Amino acid sequence: MAPPKKLRTKGQVSSSRKSTVTSLPLLLEIGTEEIPTTFLPQVLQDLAALGHQLLSECRLTYHQIRTVGTSRRLGLLVDGVQLQQPSLTQEVVGPPKSAAFDASGVPTKAAQGFAKSQGVSVDQLTIQETPKGLYLAVKKHERGKSAKQVLTLSLPVYLSKLIFPKAMRWNVTQVKFARPIRWIVVLLGNQVIKIEFAGITSGGVTWGHRFYRIKRKKTGQPVSLSNAANYEAVMKKFGVLVDPHERRAAITAQIAKLAKSAKGQIDPIHRDELIEEAVWGVEYPHAIMGTFPQEFLALPKAVLISSMKEHQGFFSLIGKDGKLLSKFVSVTNTPEGNTALMTKGNERVLSARLKDAQYFFQEDRKQTLQNRVSALDGVMFHHKLGTMRQKVERVRSLAGWMAELLDRQDLMDVCERAALLSKADLTTGMVGEFPSLQGTMGEVYAGHDGEAQEVCQAIGDQYLPRFPDDRLPRSLPGMVLACADRCDSIASFFSVGMVPSGSEDPLGLRRAAYGLVRILNETSLQLDMVQVFDPLRERLDLHSRTITDIIGFILDRLRFYGRTTMGLRDDVMEAVIRVRPKNKADLGDLLAQMQALQGIVSQSDFELLMVGFKRVHRIVEKESWNQTDVIPERFQHESEQRLFQVLDKAHQDVTNCILSQEYAGALQSLLTFNAPTDEFFAAILVNDPEPHIRENRLSLLTAIDRLFLTLADFSCIQSAGAEGG
Amino acid sequence: MTFQEIILSLHQFWKSHDCILTQPYDTEKGAGTFNPTTFLRAIGPEPWRAAYLEPCRRPTDGRYGDNPNRLQHYFQYQVVLKPAPADSQDIYLQSLAHLGLDPYQHDIQFLQDDWESPTLGAWGLGWEVRLDGMEITQFTYFQEVGSLEMNPVTVELTYGLERIAMYLQEVDNVYDLLWTENVRYGELYHESEVQWSIYNFETAGVDWLQTSFDGFEKECLHLLEHPRGLVLPAYDCCMKCSHFFNVLDARGAISVAQRTGYIGRVRNLARKCAQAYYDQREHMGFPLIHPKAMSTRSRTRKKR
Repeated sequence: MAPPKKLRTKGQVSSSRKSTVTSLPLLLEIGTEEIPTTFLPQVLQDLAALGHQLLSECRLTYHQIRTVGTSRRLGLLVDGVQLQQPSLTQEVVGPPKSAAFDASGVPTKAAQGFAKSQGVSVDQLTIQETPKGLYLAVKKHERGKSAKQVLTLSLPVYLSKLIFPKAMRWNVTQVKFARPIRWIVVLLGNQVIKIEFAGITSGGVTWGHRFYRIKRKKTGQPVSLSNAANYEAVMKKFGVLVDPHERRAAITAQIAKLAKSAKGQIDPIHRDELIEEAVWGVEYPHAIMGTFPQEFLALPKAVLISSMKEHQGFFSLIGKDGKLLSKFVSVTNTPEGNTALMTKGNERVLSARLKDAQYFFQEDRKQTLQNRVSALDGVMFHHKLGTMRQKVERVRSLAGWMAELLDRQDLMDVCERAALLSKADLTTGMVGEFPSLQGTMGEVYAGHDGEAQEVCQAIGDQYLPRFPDDRLPRSLPGMVLACADRCDSIASFFSVGMVPSGSEDPLGLRRAAYGLVRILNETSLQLDMVQVFDPLRERLDLHSRTITDIIGFILDRLRFYGRTTMGLRDDVMEAVIRVRPKNKADLGDLLAQMQALQGIVSQSDFELLMVGFKRVHRIVEKESWNQTDVIPERFQHESEQRLFQVLDKAHQDVTNCILSQEYAGALQSLLTFNAPTDEFFAAILVNDPEPHIRENRLSLLTAIDRLFLTLADFSCIQSAGAEGG
Repeated sequence: MTFQEIILSLHQFWKSHDCILTQPYDTEKGAGTFNPTTFLRAIGPEPWRAAYLEPCRRPTDGRYGDNPNRLQHYFQYQVVLKPAPADSQDIYLQSLAHLGLDPYQHDIQFLQDDWESPTLGAWGLGWEVRLDGMEITQFTYFQEVGSLEMNPVTVELTYGLERIAMYLQEVDNVYDLLWTENVRYGELYHESEVQWSIYNFETAGVDWLQTSFDGFEKECLHLLEHPRGLVLPAYDCCMKCSHFFNVLDARGAISVAQRTGYIGRVRNLARKCAQAYYDQREHMGFPLIHPKAMSTRSRTRKKR
């Protein structure tokens, strides 16, 4: 922050010597009522982009652009904005000369109309030679305007381009913005640029922190800004840290210091998320620490953390042993607040919440999860798909079936039991109050009911992973339940035609499929997605066509996963997916194949292999040959014999490797074709005049082609030159 | 400050800000927004500024008088300003100062709150205002009411009186609040909480409530057809339906599947009432646009 400020000061000083100043800093501040904090990072990014777009489209150069802001103000700061727009000379071409003058050389209506439309007289028109012939033209010279003129005109247009996830109207202008705009500042150096937007005329006056007064003046005093250059410094004086980085640094330091004073540290679990929230929620951070009664530490940890985090935005603290302390940290927005008073208030709110939680915890445990299952008849899963109870029954059948597919009959009871109880916590008071604790409370209450530990864990892990890089279920029954729940949701919605389209995913089905891919790739769980849906065929009246759609949908997420987390190339993934047997979809296995293929694709001799393969493939396709019975006796040349031997060996190797899922080995054995293929094509012509010989050669090539295609559709693979793309 | 002094103080404050101190409406309702003073008056171009106390009923929130923070019957202090003044946040903060809550000493934050009432076909954007972490007010710029777009926009402030009072009196249990120097909140309302909880959760006649719902729905539609345009009685029927739905809900008589159906039926009534009210006011020439009493003040305000 410091260097640019100095720079600007220099600019300001020299502005007295009018002739030398060619650029000045620009400030745009939009003062608003509190904009939702979650909107801010994006809108500041958009504002910077719009600023850039505006200046470049207006032909004004600048040094540097950046945005700052809080929920009460959006600031655009541009360094070194050129004060004068360069002039522009343009040639506008009009009608052809032939149509512009009559036989006697008098200008026609066409010529006059063109001149008029360009605001010049006919004699100012020139003749221009173009590839299409001679045309009328006019050279137009647009004199560059001052930055002030340009900005006055353009700023409101660009401001109206700012969009928000949700916007509102508040005054007669009917302009929509996240929240009402209350003032606008536009300064170019020390000069106010007057614009009008949303019924507000800009000026050089902003407002300081809502609750900060210098020298005991009245609340909410207006602050005159004398120059764009010292905006940040002035705002700081009036209790506003406009730069989010500065607020983040202050918050991070303050909370760490408080935690240290309590001989603990900020609980890392939601730390970053809460810091982010606080950064955008305050104009001037002032962290405070409070205490809650020890007795509440008897509540499940998740409940304590949720009470603090979700409802209050409080940081929880942990001691050296990693256990929660009966303390919390809250970031307030008060430069001169009464710490004792605020702490007491925050403590009281939290205690009331925890008391509520304590009440639910006691009440909920009076009824077992088992007894709650029937209450799920009254909980809707989706109006087109019936109740939660019905869903639970489906998930249960899926979980049992999965255990069977995994050949783990020993786990069948655990999986089914966990599935049966999985949604029962939805009827508890605690989950009613803290919906994000679903599953977690199920685990706690199942433990209290004396359910087996594996069952409890599986219930607790069923929603994992909750977000892309979240942890995965700890145990096999947990993985099974997590997969069963997701498979059911996807299949259910697909069965009633509710398929995600566009970028929207209101039912969370993409997220569900992504979770499936992760579990099936990153754990030992191995399931064939085609078979998995069998128990739902009847329950949901699920047609094979729908299952094909579902597999396609899941494979789409698999591609996304492969691309983003494994760095797999799209062409490589496509090559593997194309040759997938239609009756099988083992996600982890597919990814292993893709990974192996990508490995060989980048090898130096792969290019050569492709040359050979493509030649083989082309011929087979061209001839639409589909026989593979090779008769060695008909070979005419030893290259044919050699190729056949290589095929025989490779065939065995590939088959063996595939059986043991060693795809890299399988692909590697294809490389043995390089030399003999080359030799083959060099030595003989496939199109022998003798049909028997020709057909035999075609069969040999077809057999090779088939072998390649068991591993991947190599015709999808883009050559090495395109690899980077 | 006693509970009744808080009410008086808010009355005083908003009176000085040109609000008509209207009164609670005599039909059961889940929130002050249902009062025709808000719901109907927000519709159309006529300026409007009103403040009132509103007793609200939320049957599902009953806790048999056992919970220190939850009540099935409680009080809101409601302010509606149309058009929304440019300084409504400032005025609101002044009202807190008027109650003795110094905004310089406390942490007051405006946290995003997208308000929506599916039964009223209404939504708006604004905040929940937090005082040292406690939600004390809902602050909403109405965007739609009865599915009609607001023009001009009404701003609605809803103070949670019990919470503010608990804060001011430093009390942890709502029943310990002092209504007057000598009478506690619990003395006035505890027994009522117990009885109504028993009624709402255990005793209310489901069949009768369902029949009543159907009856009032029919009546509402019937009244809207009346040649004289009986919009106001019709809207009362709509409020009744909403209330019966709430009791049925508390009684556990409405499955999740039925829920949306009931809500949709109430919304349908609310929409029809809203449109009929608008048409009627239009027919009357929007009489409040130029009333002598309101015009001068509201015009000066608009100019700010």
